[in-house]
Amino acid sequence: MLLKKGLCTLLTAAAMTGALLAPLPAGAGGTMIVSSPQDPGSWDPIDTFLVNWASVATNIYDGLTYRGPDTKLVPGLATSWEELDKGLRLRFILREGVVFHNGEPFNAEAVKFTFDRLLGEEGKKGPQRSNYAAIKSVAVIDAKTVDFLLSQPDPVLLTKLAGYGAMIVPPKYVTEKGDDYFNAHPVGTGPFQFVSYEPKVGIKLEAFAKHWGGAPKLDKLEYRFISEPSTAVAELQAGRVDLVIPPTIPIAMIPTLQKDANTAIATCASPTVCALRFNTGKGITADEKVRTAMILGVDREAIIKTVLAGQAEPIASFQGKLSFGNDPKMKPLPFDPQKAKQLLKEAGVAPGTAVQIDVRGNDATFNEVAQAVAGYLQGIGLNATIKPYETNVLLNDIIPAGKTGEMFQQLWGGWTLDYDNTAYLMYHSGEKWNPYDKDKELDALLESQRSITDRVEREKILQSIAQYTAKRALEMPLYNINAIFGVSKRLKNFTPVPDSRLRLTEVTVE
Amino acid sequence: MAGFILRRIFQAIFVILAVTLVVSFAIRLTGDPALMLTQGAGSVTEEDLARIREALGLNQPFLVQYGQFMLGLLRLDFGRSFLGGTPVAQLIATALPATLLLAFASMMVSIALSIPLGIKAAISKGRWADQTIRILSLVGLSFPNFWLAIMLVLLFSITLRWLPPSGMDGFASFIMPAVTIGIILTALNVRIVRAAMLETLQQQYIMVARAKGLSETAVLYKHALRNCAIPLITYFGLQFGGLLGGIVVVERVFNWPGLGTLALDAVAGRDYPVLQAVITVLSLLIIGVNLAIDIAYGIIDPRIRLEAKE
Repeated sequence: MLLKKGLCTLLTAAAMTGALLAPLPAGAGGTMIVSSPQDPGSWDPIDTFLVNWASVATNIYDGLTYRGPDTKLVPGLATSWEELDKGLRLRFILREGVVFHNGEPFNAEAVKFTFDRLLGEEGKKGPQRSNYAAIKSVAVIDAKTVDFLLSQPDPVLLTKLAGYGAMIVPPKYVTEKGDDYFNAHPVGTGPFQFVSYEPKVGIKLEAFAKHWGGAPKLDKLEYRFISEPSTAVAELQAGRVDLVIPPTIPIAMIPTLQKDANTAIATCASPTVCALRFNTGKGITADEKVRTAMILGVDREAIIKTVLAGQAEPIASFQGKLSFGNDPKMKPLPFDPQKAKQLLKEAGVAPGTAVQIDVRGNDATFNEVAQAVAGYLQGIGLNATIKPYETNVLLNDIIPAGKTGEMFQQLWGGWTLDYDNTAYLMYHSGEKWNPYDKDKELDALLESQRSITDRVEREKILQSIAQYTAKRALEMPLYNINAIFGVSKRLKNFTPVPDSRLRLTEVTVE
Repeated sequence: MAGFILRRIFQAIFVILAVTLVVSFAIRLTGDPALMLTQGAGSVTEEDLARIREALGLNQPFLVQYGQFMLGLLRLDFGRSFLGGTPVAQLIATALPATLLLAFASMMVSIALSIPLGIKAAISKGRWADQTIRILSLVGLSFPNFWLAIMLVLLFSITLRWLPPSGMDGFASFIMPAVTIGIILTALNVRIVRAAMLETLQQQYIMVARAKGLSETAVLYKHALRNCAIPLITYFGLQFGGLLGGIVVVERVFNWPGLGTLALDAVAGRDYPVLQAVITVLSLLIIGVNLAIDIAYGIIDPRIRLEAKE
């Protein structure tokens, strides 16, 4: 009896809450709810490099420059800029009449304060400072003009000013309230202003009517932190989330969302590239011939078609088509197992020789890719085994310490979409991601492009770096994976962005 | 009784010291948080890393770091999260109630189901009701909880759209996580209740109660259940302690903002202060629950109180 009564109460409560869960009527532009995989823990621009910080903060802050979904650099808080003193001084003319969410005016002092803070004591504690190391100081010329004095020309600086550490912060607010308060109560000049933040749960924003670009169409913008892909997808299907941002949705879940009448998938090219890099220091992969053979022996196109459901593109070097420095004329090595076997024979590699592939254990999609690669390597007579590691262990303790097997998974994609950000870190001697290789010629090439601001000349050097590394077969370039968004069909005017830096000013929810 | 409690508190201090020391030491074996924090940054020099380590206080010897943590603990100051700098006390303050409420709701589901089912199984020993309950219990025990969670989400959130698939947002959001954990606990508890009840029902005082002409309900719930309450409360209490640490997977699936989620993120992010704090709080809870069980004995069984007085 007691049990019956309890069950009845439970079922009635369930039915009642079901009624309560029906979607609420929205305002003019409505409320949009985004599922993001991670809480960055702080909203201060100088505290983090996480893309999931940027997917929220791009709506709160502005930079001097702006780069949207079309990846073109356009004016942001600066209306124009010019290069002076052979690239050692950049002069910015600032937008007038801009205010921060707290009413503080935006001016040259705010720009100086932002960069003094980034390059000073507060910035020292965070990971953003090293990206802006070329800036020596910022000088206020007048209320709407600032000069950036550089220690050396930085060809990527204008792009870097569009995101992350370069977001302009309100001097009075930060000084009065302190850094700890600012971490959890961000104020910027962006199209949405902060409402509330609950650590590990979510952050809520609302439209900022006084934004210089006009008020956004949405009334409210909320983010919920959901790390488990299946949970995020369930929330999308249940209609309680309007957008699931990358890198949440695994390839295997795409059909579920495509079949559902209320949801869809939106994709675009992303900066993220995946390769199996070689241990060029020891073992059979120290031999260039063997490395080339291994690349020839794996059918990367087939892997893209089958394992990745076509959501990727083949690459010839360790960069995607959006990358500055990518040479569209460069073609990936073909799949040629016969030639691969012959090269292995020439290199004196006995059939059945063992190779180890180190991967991120929690990357379900890549584990399938690695299985396929191991299968192909078996086909050319190599006995490949896969060794999964906890992601952070692989990234922080195994690769940088040079403790990998013959091959190791590397997933990379700088938001600046500039090959330097990849190539320098992967190939320059002594860099964290280059534990094995020392190549003076490559070092010189990498260094030479860093101080050239002539785009044409620089692009040529970057392309020659790509060709050089491909010739030396420093990695098995696998693919450039798409940015995959799970979208509710109630969402209108949504444009997927390559780099998770979503600015949701045009979107509405029905 | 007071002396007994004091003794237990004294023991608890040693347990906390041992647990925090082991955890603080062990998490430092997982690797360098400075590397984590700069993982996606550009070129990182040894100088950059040293600067970050210093800012986080990691340049100090281990015992100094541990001493600072323990001193902070006395002031209820757990330090700040390495990831973003949120005060850890603030994170615990939101995560702890979330976990406690979920654990409590799950226990309630389990007790509400397992006591009547266990008694039913005991009184119909060997008959079909007993067999059915035992088979269901076996099925329940074989369920992985994440599988059950996903099945519930598919049915109640996606197909029927009755319940929210995740998050902690009002009464409705408790139902699926509490039922997921509750059902699996029930599968285990039904057997415990059944065994305890079977043993009690064979006692002579039950025979006396029946001989007095008491109704079967009074015999079962007033005499039998009260007498097998001690082993059951011990068991449920210990289970509650274990449950706090064991609902991590369910918290993850339902995106429950509890201690489990916090701990998991802290391990993955090498967030020493958060993990140390979560483990310390969990240990304190388990010690507290055990103490509460001991005290509860006295309330339920007057003989224990009398022994204590003597």
